[in-house]
Amino acid sequence: MNPPIVMRQVSKSFGTKTVLDTCDFELRAGSVTGLLGVNGAGKTTLLRTAIGLARPDTGTATVLGEPAWNLSAAAKARIGYVPQTPGLIGWLNVRDHLAYVGAFQPRWDAAFAEDLRTKWDLPPDTKCAKLSPGEAQRMALVLALAHRPELLVLDEPAASLDPIARKQFMAAVVEVAAAGTTILLSTHLCADLERVADRVAVLQRGRIVRDAGIDELKERVKRVRVAVDAPLPKDLGLSGILSRRDLDGGSVLMVDGDPETYAKTSARLLQAGATVAIDELGLEEIATELLQ
Amino acid sequence: MRPATLFVVQPTSGVPIYRQLMDQVLALRSSGRLPEGALLPSVRQVAEELQINAMTVSKAWSLLERDGVVELQRGHGMRITAPQAGGTLRQRLAELHPLLEHLAARAHQLALPRQDVLDALAALLPSTKDKP
Repeated sequence: MNPPIVMRQVSKSFGTKTVLDTCDFELRAGSVTGLLGVNGAGKTTLLRTAIGLARPDTGTATVLGEPAWNLSAAAKARIGYVPQTPGLIGWLNVRDHLAYVGAFQPRWDAAFAEDLRTKWDLPPDTKCAKLSPGEAQRMALVLALAHRPELLVLDEPAASLDPIARKQFMAAVVEVAAAGTTILLSTHLCADLERVADRVAVLQRGRIVRDAGIDELKERVKRVRVAVDAPLPKDLGLSGILSRRDLDGGSVLMVDGDPETYAKTSARLLQAGATVAIDELGLEEIATELLQ
Repeated sequence: MRPATLFVVQPTSGVPIYRQLMDQVLALRSSGRLPEGALLPSVRQVAEELQINAMTVSKAWSLLERDGVVELQRGHGMRITAPQAGGTLRQRLAELHPLLEHLAARAHQLALPRQDVLDALAALLPSTKDKP
Protein backbone atom coordinates (compact mmCIF):
# COMPACT_ATOMS: atom_id res chain seq x y z
CA MET A 1 0.00 0.00 0.00
CA ASN A 2 1.19 3.49 -0.78
CA PRO A 3 1.90 5.75 2.16
CA PRO A 4 -1.14 8.00 2.65
CA ILE A 5 1.10 10.97 3.46
CA VAL A 6 4.41 11.73 1.79
CA MET A 7 6.39 14.88 2.54
CA ARG A 8 9.54 15.67 0.61
CA GLN A 9 11.91 18.43 1.64
CA VAL A 10 9.09 20.49 3.01
CA SER A 11 10.01 23.87 4.48
CA LYS A 12 7.65 26.33 6.05
CA SER A 13 8.38 29.57 7.86
CA PHE A 14 6.25 32.09 9.65
CA GLY A 15 8.00 35.46 9.38
CA THR A 16 11.58 34.82 10.40
CA LYS A 17 10.76 31.64 12.26
CA THR A 18 11.47 28.43 10.35
CA VAL A 19 9.05 25.77 11.55
CA LEU A 20 9.63 22.98 9.05
CA ASP A 21 13.11 22.73 7.61
CA THR A 22 13.46 20.45 4.56
CA CYS A 23 11.36 17.91 6.37
CA ASP A 24 10.93 14.38 4.97
CA PHE A 25 8.19 12.14 6.24
CA GLU A 26 6.20 9.13 5.09
CA LEU A 27 3.19 7.86 6.98
CA ARG A 28 2.93 4.09 6.85
CA ALA A 29 -0.44 2.84 5.60
CA GLY A 30 -2.48 1.06 8.26
CA SER A 31 -0.34 2.35 11.10
CA VAL A 32 -1.25 4.42 14.10
CA THR A 33 1.64 6.86 14.22
CA GLY A 34 2.26 9.27 17.05
CA LEU A 35 3.95 12.54 16.17
CA LEU A 36 6.09 13.52 19.14
CA GLY A 37 7.77 16.83 19.74
CA VAL A 38 8.18 19.47 22.41
CA ASN A 39 5.73 22.36 22.52
CA GLY A 40 6.41 24.63 19.59
CA ALA A 41 8.28 21.97 17.62
CA GLY A 42 5.90 22.46 14.70
CA LYS A 43 3.63 19.44 15.09
CA THR A 44 0.49 21.36 14.13
CA THR A 45 2.21 22.91 11.13
CA LEU A 46 3.41 19.52 9.96
CA LEU A 47 -0.09 18.02 10.23
CA ARG A 48 -1.73 20.97 8.52
CA THR A 49 0.82 21.01 5.71
CA ALA A 50 0.52 17.25 5.26
CA ILE A 51 -3.21 17.40 4.52
CA GLY A 52 -3.28 20.67 2.61
CA LEU A 53 -4.51 23.07 5.27
CA ALA A 54 -1.25 24.97 5.02
CA ARG A 55 0.95 25.49 1.99
CA PRO A 56 4.63 24.52 2.04
CA ASP A 57 7.06 27.34 1.13
CA THR A 58 9.18 24.77 -0.69
CA GLY A 59 9.05 21.02 -1.11
CA THR A 60 6.05 18.82 -1.77
CA ALA A 61 3.36 17.27 0.37
CA THR A 62 1.27 14.47 -1.09
CA VAL A 63 -1.80 13.02 0.58
CA LEU A 64 -3.67 9.97 -0.73
CA GLY A 65 -1.66 10.26 -3.93
CA GLU A 66 -2.60 13.87 -4.66
CA PRO A 67 -0.77 17.14 -4.07
CA ALA A 68 -1.95 18.23 -0.62
CA TRP A 69 -2.43 21.86 -1.57
CA ASN A 70 -4.61 21.03 -4.60
CA LEU A 71 -6.75 18.25 -3.24
CA SER A 72 -9.74 17.03 -5.20
CA ALA A 73 -13.07 16.91 -3.40
CA ALA A 74 -12.97 13.12 -3.71
CA ALA A 75 -9.66 12.94 -1.83
CA LYS A 76 -10.85 15.38 0.83
CA ALA A 77 -13.82 13.12 1.44
CA ARG A 78 -11.40 10.32 2.41
CA ILE A 79 -9.66 12.35 5.14
CA GLY A 80 -10.80 13.09 8.67
CA TYR A 81 -9.21 15.83 10.77
CA VAL A 82 -9.67 16.76 14.40
CA PRO A 83 -7.99 20.08 15.25
CA GLN A 84 -6.56 20.92 18.66
CA THR A 85 -9.74 22.73 19.69
CA PRO A 86 -12.89 21.06 18.42
CA GLY A 87 -14.37 24.25 16.90
CA LEU A 88 -17.98 23.17 17.30
CA ILE A 89 -20.86 25.49 16.64
CA GLY A 90 -22.02 26.21 20.17
CA TRP A 91 -25.66 27.04 19.61
CA LEU A 92 -26.42 23.84 17.67
CA ASN A 93 -27.39 20.79 19.66
CA VAL A 94 -25.55 17.53 19.04
CA ARG A 95 -28.18 16.02 16.73
CA ASP A 96 -28.52 19.17 14.59
CA HIS A 97 -24.77 19.63 14.44
CA LEU A 98 -24.34 16.14 13.04
CA ALA A 99 -27.07 16.76 10.44
CA TYR A 100 -25.52 20.13 9.52
CA VAL A 101 -22.02 18.77 8.90
CA GLY A 102 -23.45 15.69 7.20
CA ALA A 103 -25.19 17.86 4.64
CA PHE A 104 -21.80 18.97 3.29
CA GLN A 105 -20.27 15.52 3.10
CA PRO A 106 -21.03 13.29 0.12
CA ARG A 107 -19.83 10.14 1.91
CA TRP A 108 -21.56 10.91 5.24
CA ASP A 109 -23.04 7.82 6.89
CA ALA A 110 -25.82 9.12 9.15
CA ALA A 111 -26.51 5.72 10.72
CA PHE A 112 -22.83 5.32 11.58
CA ALA A 113 -22.75 8.84 13.04
CA GLU A 114 -25.72 7.90 15.22
CA ASP A 115 -24.00 4.67 16.32
CA LEU A 116 -20.90 6.57 17.35
CA ARG A 117 -22.96 9.23 19.11
CA THR A 118 -24.72 6.66 21.30
CA LYS A 119 -21.61 4.57 21.88
CA TRP A 120 -19.67 7.60 23.03
CA ASP A 121 -22.49 8.94 25.22
CA LEU A 122 -23.22 12.22 23.50
CA PRO A 123 -26.60 13.61 24.56
CA PRO A 124 -28.50 14.51 21.35
CA ASP A 125 -30.38 17.49 22.75
CA THR A 126 -27.50 19.23 24.47
CA LYS A 127 -26.17 22.38 22.85
CA CYS A 128 -22.55 21.88 21.82
CA ALA A 129 -21.49 24.86 23.94
CA LYS A 130 -22.67 22.92 27.00
CA LEU A 131 -20.66 19.77 26.30
CA SER A 132 -17.81 18.92 28.66
CA PRO A 133 -14.32 19.10 27.11
CA GLY A 134 -14.28 15.31 26.85
CA GLU A 135 -17.68 15.22 25.16
CA ALA A 136 -16.73 18.02 22.80
CA GLN A 137 -13.58 16.15 21.79
CA ARG A 138 -15.55 12.95 21.17
CA MET A 139 -18.10 14.96 19.20
CA ALA A 140 -15.29 16.32 17.02
CA LEU A 141 -14.17 12.74 16.48
CA VAL A 142 -17.67 11.69 15.37
CA LEU A 143 -17.69 14.60 12.93
CA ALA A 144 -14.31 13.52 11.58
CA LEU A 145 -15.30 9.86 11.28
CA ALA A 146 -18.87 9.67 10.06
CA HIS A 147 -17.78 9.80 6.42
CA ARG A 148 -15.56 6.76 7.10
CA PRO A 149 -12.21 8.32 6.20
CA GLU A 150 -9.21 6.20 5.26
CA LEU A 151 -6.89 8.67 6.92
CA LEU A 152 -7.53 10.28 10.28
CA VAL A 153 -5.36 13.15 11.51
CA LEU A 154 -5.63 14.21 15.15
CA ASP A 155 -3.87 17.26 16.56
CA GLU A 156 -3.22 16.92 20.31
CA PRO A 157 -6.64 15.34 20.65
CA ALA A 158 -6.46 14.50 24.32
CA ALA A 159 -4.37 17.35 25.67
CA SER A 160 -7.22 19.22 27.32
CA LEU A 161 -8.97 16.17 28.77
CA ASP A 162 -8.89 14.86 32.32
CA PRO A 163 -7.50 11.33 32.75
CA ILE A 164 -10.89 9.60 32.56
CA ALA A 165 -12.09 11.51 29.51
CA ARG A 166 -8.69 10.92 27.93
CA LYS A 167 -8.98 7.20 28.49
CA GLN A 168 -12.44 7.15 26.91
CA PHE A 169 -11.20 9.18 23.99
CA MET A 170 -8.19 6.94 23.40
CA ALA A 171 -10.45 3.87 23.61
CA ALA A 172 -12.48 5.42 20.80
CA VAL A 173 -9.28 5.90 18.80
CA VAL A 174 -8.36 2.24 19.35
CA GLU A 175 -11.70 1.19 17.85
CA VAL A 176 -11.17 3.41 14.84
CA ALA A 177 -7.70 1.97 14.31
CA ALA A 178 -9.01 -1.58 14.62
CA ALA A 179 -11.37 -0.82 11.75
CA GLY A 180 -8.32 -0.24 9.53
CA THR A 181 -8.08 3.54 9.39
CA THR A 182 -4.56 4.96 9.17
CA ILE A 183 -4.10 7.43 12.01
CA LEU A 184 -1.57 10.19 12.56
CA LEU A 185 -1.85 11.92 15.91
CA SER A 186 0.33 14.52 17.51
CA THR A 187 0.84 14.59 21.23
CA HIS A 188 3.32 15.33 23.92
CA LEU A 189 1.79 12.71 26.19
CA CYS A 190 3.67 9.47 25.69
CA ALA A 191 1.30 7.48 27.89
CA ASP A 192 -1.47 8.00 25.33
CA LEU A 193 0.71 6.65 22.58
CA GLU A 194 1.96 3.54 24.27
CA ARG A 195 -1.41 1.85 24.16
CA VAL A 196 -2.67 3.09 20.87
CA ALA A 197 0.19 3.72 18.51
CA ASP A 198 2.46 1.24 16.84
CA ARG A 199 4.90 3.84 15.53
CA VAL A 200 6.30 7.18 16.60
CA ALA A 201 7.77 9.95 14.49
CA VAL A 202 9.90 12.42 16.42
CA LEU A 203 9.84 16.02 15.21
CA GLN A 204 12.76 18.14 16.23
CA ARG A 205 14.10 21.42 14.86
CA GLY A 206 11.76 21.20 11.90
CA ARG A 207 12.60 17.67 10.86
CA ILE A 208 11.51 14.12 11.55
CA VAL A 209 14.63 12.84 13.26
CA ARG A 210 13.32 9.38 14.05
CA ASP A 211 10.47 7.29 12.66
CA ALA A 212 10.26 3.84 14.18
CA GLY A 213 8.03 1.20 15.69
CA ILE A 214 7.44 1.62 19.42
CA ASP A 215 8.38 -2.02 20.01
CA GLU A 216 11.56 -1.52 18.06
CA LEU A 217 12.45 1.56 20.12
CA LYS A 218 11.80 -0.29 23.37
CA GLU A 219 14.00 -3.16 22.25
CA ARG A 220 16.82 -0.90 21.04
CA VAL A 221 16.99 2.07 23.39
CA LYS A 222 18.14 1.12 26.85
CA ARG A 223 19.92 2.59 29.81
CA VAL A 224 23.18 0.89 30.71
CA ARG A 225 24.48 1.50 34.20
CA VAL A 226 28.04 0.47 34.82
CA ALA A 227 29.57 0.49 38.26
CA VAL A 228 33.30 -0.04 38.50
CA ASP A 229 36.15 0.76 40.87
CA ALA A 230 38.73 1.72 38.28
CA PRO A 231 37.94 4.51 35.82
CA LEU A 232 36.14 3.22 32.76
CA PRO A 233 37.90 3.35 29.43
CA LYS A 234 36.61 6.08 27.16
CA ASP A 235 35.78 3.49 24.54
CA LEU A 236 33.38 0.89 25.88
CA GLY A 237 32.97 -0.83 22.56
CA LEU A 238 29.30 0.16 22.49
CA SER A 239 27.81 1.58 19.37
CA GLY A 240 24.87 3.92 19.31
CA ILE A 241 25.61 5.79 22.53
CA LEU A 242 23.14 8.67 22.78
CA SER A 243 24.52 10.14 25.95
CA ARG A 244 27.03 9.29 28.62
CA ARG A 245 27.36 10.55 32.13
CA ASP A 246 30.54 9.61 33.94
CA LEU A 247 29.99 9.58 37.66
CA ASP A 248 32.15 8.72 40.59
CA GLY A 249 32.56 4.95 40.37
CA GLY A 250 30.73 4.36 37.15
CA SER A 251 28.83 5.61 34.17
CA VAL A 252 25.26 5.88 33.02
CA LEU A 253 24.78 5.54 29.30
CA MET A 254 21.78 5.83 27.08
CA VAL A 255 22.28 3.52 24.16
CA ASP A 256 20.39 3.05 20.93
CA GLY A 257 21.77 -0.29 19.89
CA ASP A 258 21.11 -3.59 18.25
CA PRO A 259 19.00 -5.61 20.73
CA GLU A 260 21.25 -8.63 20.17
CA THR A 261 24.39 -6.86 21.36
CA TYR A 262 23.31 -5.95 24.88
CA ALA A 263 23.94 -9.40 26.34
CA LYS A 264 27.45 -9.48 24.84
CA THR A 265 28.30 -6.01 26.06
CA SER A 266 27.09 -6.86 29.50
CA ALA A 267 29.15 -10.06 29.58
CA ARG A 268 32.26 -8.23 28.41
CA LEU A 269 31.95 -5.50 31.02
CA LEU A 270 31.29 -8.07 33.72
CA GLN A 271 34.48 -9.85 32.75
CA ALA A 272 36.34 -6.57 33.02
CA GLY A 273 35.23 -6.44 36.63
CA ALA A 274 32.35 -4.01 36.34
CA THR A 275 28.79 -4.45 37.54
CA VAL A 276 26.31 -3.82 34.81
CA ALA A 277 22.61 -3.20 34.82
CA ILE A 278 20.61 -2.75 31.64
CA ASP A 279 17.28 -1.04 32.15
CA GLU A 280 14.36 -1.34 29.79
CA LEU A 281 12.70 2.00 29.31
CA GLY A 282 9.19 3.24 28.79
CA LEU A 283 8.41 5.45 25.83
CA GLU A 284 8.46 8.56 28.00
CA GLU A 285 12.11 8.07 28.93
CA ILE A 286 13.07 7.08 25.43
CA ALA A 287 11.36 10.12 23.97
CA THR A 288 13.01 12.42 26.48
CA GLU A 289 16.37 11.07 25.42
CA LEU A 290 15.64 11.32 21.69
CA LEU A 291 14.34 14.87 22.09
CA GLN A 292 17.45 16.15 23.81
CA MET B 1 -13.97 -15.16 33.12
CA ARG B 2 -14.05 -13.70 29.64
CA PRO B 3 -11.09 -15.03 27.69
CA ALA B 4 -9.56 -11.62 27.05
CA THR B 5 -9.47 -10.89 30.77
CA LEU B 6 -6.76 -13.53 31.11
CA PHE B 7 -4.33 -10.87 30.00
CA VAL B 8 -3.07 -7.69 31.53
CA VAL B 9 -0.56 -5.29 30.04
CA GLN B 10 1.50 -2.45 31.38
CA PRO B 11 1.85 -0.06 28.44
CA THR B 12 4.42 2.17 30.14
CA SER B 13 6.75 -0.75 30.79
CA GLY B 14 9.98 -1.00 28.85
CA VAL B 15 8.93 -4.46 27.75
CA PRO B 16 7.01 -4.07 24.49
CA ILE B 17 3.32 -4.92 24.83
CA TYR B 18 3.52 -7.74 22.29
CA ARG B 19 6.26 -9.35 24.44
CA GLN B 20 4.12 -9.04 27.55
CA LEU B 21 1.27 -10.82 25.79
CA MET B 22 3.54 -13.58 24.47
CA ASP B 23 5.02 -14.17 27.90
CA GLN B 24 1.55 -14.43 29.40
CA VAL B 25 0.33 -16.94 26.83
CA LEU B 26 3.43 -19.05 27.46
CA ALA B 27 2.90 -18.90 31.19
CA LEU B 28 -0.81 -19.73 30.87
CA ARG B 29 0.00 -22.66 28.62
CA SER B 30 2.74 -23.99 30.87
CA SER B 31 0.50 -23.78 33.92
CA GLY B 32 -2.34 -25.53 32.11
CA ARG B 33 -4.72 -22.60 32.44
CA LEU B 34 -4.74 -22.55 28.66
CA PRO B 35 -4.74 -26.29 27.93
CA GLU B 36 -4.02 -27.88 24.59
CA GLY B 37 -6.81 -27.11 22.18
CA ALA B 38 -7.98 -24.00 23.99
CA LEU B 39 -8.61 -21.05 21.70
CA LEU B 40 -6.86 -17.75 22.19
CA PRO B 41 -9.25 -14.83 22.29
CA SER B 42 -9.35 -13.01 18.97
CA VAL B 43 -7.05 -10.12 18.19
CA ARG B 44 -10.04 -7.83 18.24
CA GLN B 45 -11.32 -9.04 21.60
CA VAL B 46 -7.97 -8.54 23.27
CA ALA B 47 -7.37 -5.18 21.61
CA GLU B 48 -10.74 -3.93 22.76
CA GLU B 49 -10.55 -5.40 26.24
CA LEU B 50 -7.08 -4.00 26.92
CA GLN B 51 -7.58 -0.91 24.78
CA ILE B 52 -4.44 -1.44 22.81
CA ASN B 53 -3.57 -1.34 19.14
CA ALA B 54 -4.84 -4.45 17.34
CA MET B 55 -1.59 -4.71 15.36
CA THR B 56 0.26 -5.24 18.62
CA VAL B 57 -1.96 -8.20 19.54
CA SER B 58 -1.74 -9.54 16.02
CA LYS B 59 2.05 -9.36 16.17
CA ALA B 60 2.09 -11.34 19.44
CA TRP B 61 -0.27 -14.00 18.09
CA SER B 62 1.67 -14.48 14.87
CA LEU B 63 5.00 -14.75 16.70
CA LEU B 64 3.43 -17.38 18.95
CA GLU B 65 2.30 -19.19 15.84
CA ARG B 66 5.83 -19.00 14.43
CA ASP B 67 7.13 -20.49 17.68
CA GLY B 68 4.61 -23.32 17.50
CA VAL B 69 2.85 -22.29 20.68
CA VAL B 70 -0.44 -21.85 18.86
CA GLU B 71 -1.67 -22.93 15.47
CA LEU B 72 -4.23 -21.35 13.21
CA GLN B 73 -7.40 -23.34 12.97
CA ARG B 74 -9.35 -21.98 10.04
CA GLY B 75 -12.69 -20.58 10.98
CA HIS B 76 -12.00 -20.89 14.69
CA GLY B 77 -8.91 -18.94 15.58
CA MET B 78 -5.62 -19.63 17.28
CA ARG B 79 -5.51 -22.94 19.09
CA ILE B 80 -3.04 -23.78 21.84
CA THR B 81 -0.73 -26.63 20.90
CA ALA B 82 0.58 -29.24 23.30
CA PRO B 83 3.72 -28.16 25.09
CA GLN B 84 6.64 -30.03 23.53
CA ALA B 85 7.95 -33.30 24.94
CA GLY B 86 10.07 -32.90 28.04
CA GLY B 87 7.59 -30.30 29.23
CA THR B 88 6.19 -30.66 32.70
CA LEU B 89 8.00 -29.21 35.64
CA ARG B 90 11.44 -28.99 34.09
CA GLN B 91 10.23 -27.10 31.05
CA ARG B 92 8.23 -24.71 33.10
CA LEU B 93 11.23 -24.04 35.27
CA ALA B 94 13.36 -23.44 32.19
CA GLU B 95 10.91 -20.79 31.12
CA LEU B 96 11.33 -19.03 34.43
CA HIS B 97 15.09 -19.21 34.32
CA PRO B 98 15.94 -15.97 32.50
CA LEU B 99 13.89 -14.07 35.04
CA LEU B 100 15.61 -15.84 37.89
CA GLU B 101 19.02 -14.99 36.45
CA HIS B 102 18.00 -11.40 36.23
CA LEU B 103 16.74 -11.48 39.80
CA ALA B 104 19.95 -13.08 41.02
CA ALA B 105 22.14 -10.55 39.22
CA ARG B 106 20.16 -7.68 40.62
CA ALA B 107 20.20 -9.09 44.14
CA HIS B 108 23.96 -9.41 43.85
CA GLN B 109 24.34 -5.81 42.73
CA LEU B 110 22.23 -4.64 45.61
CA ALA B 111 24.39 -6.73 47.95
CA LEU B 112 21.31 -8.33 49.47
CA PRO B 113 21.75 -11.29 51.82
CA ARG B 114 20.75 -14.53 50.16
CA GLN B 115 18.17 -15.48 52.76
CA ASP B 116 16.42 -12.11 52.55
CA VAL B 117 16.03 -12.48 48.82
CA LEU B 118 14.65 -16.00 49.18
CA ASP B 119 12.26 -14.86 51.88
CA ALA B 120 11.03 -11.96 49.80
CA LEU B 121 10.44 -14.29 46.87
CA ALA B 122 8.70 -16.88 49.04
CA ALA B 123 6.33 -14.21 50.31
CA LEU B 124 5.22 -13.55 46.73
CA LEU B 125 4.53 -17.18 45.91
CA PRO B 126 1.07 -18.57 46.55
CA SER B 127 1.12 -21.07 49.41
CA THR B 128 -1.50 -23.43 47.96
CA LYS B 129 -0.32 -26.84 46.81
CA ASP B 130 0.30 -26.58 43.08
CA LYS B 131 0.05 -29.37 40.60
CA PRO B 132 3.43 -31.05 40.19
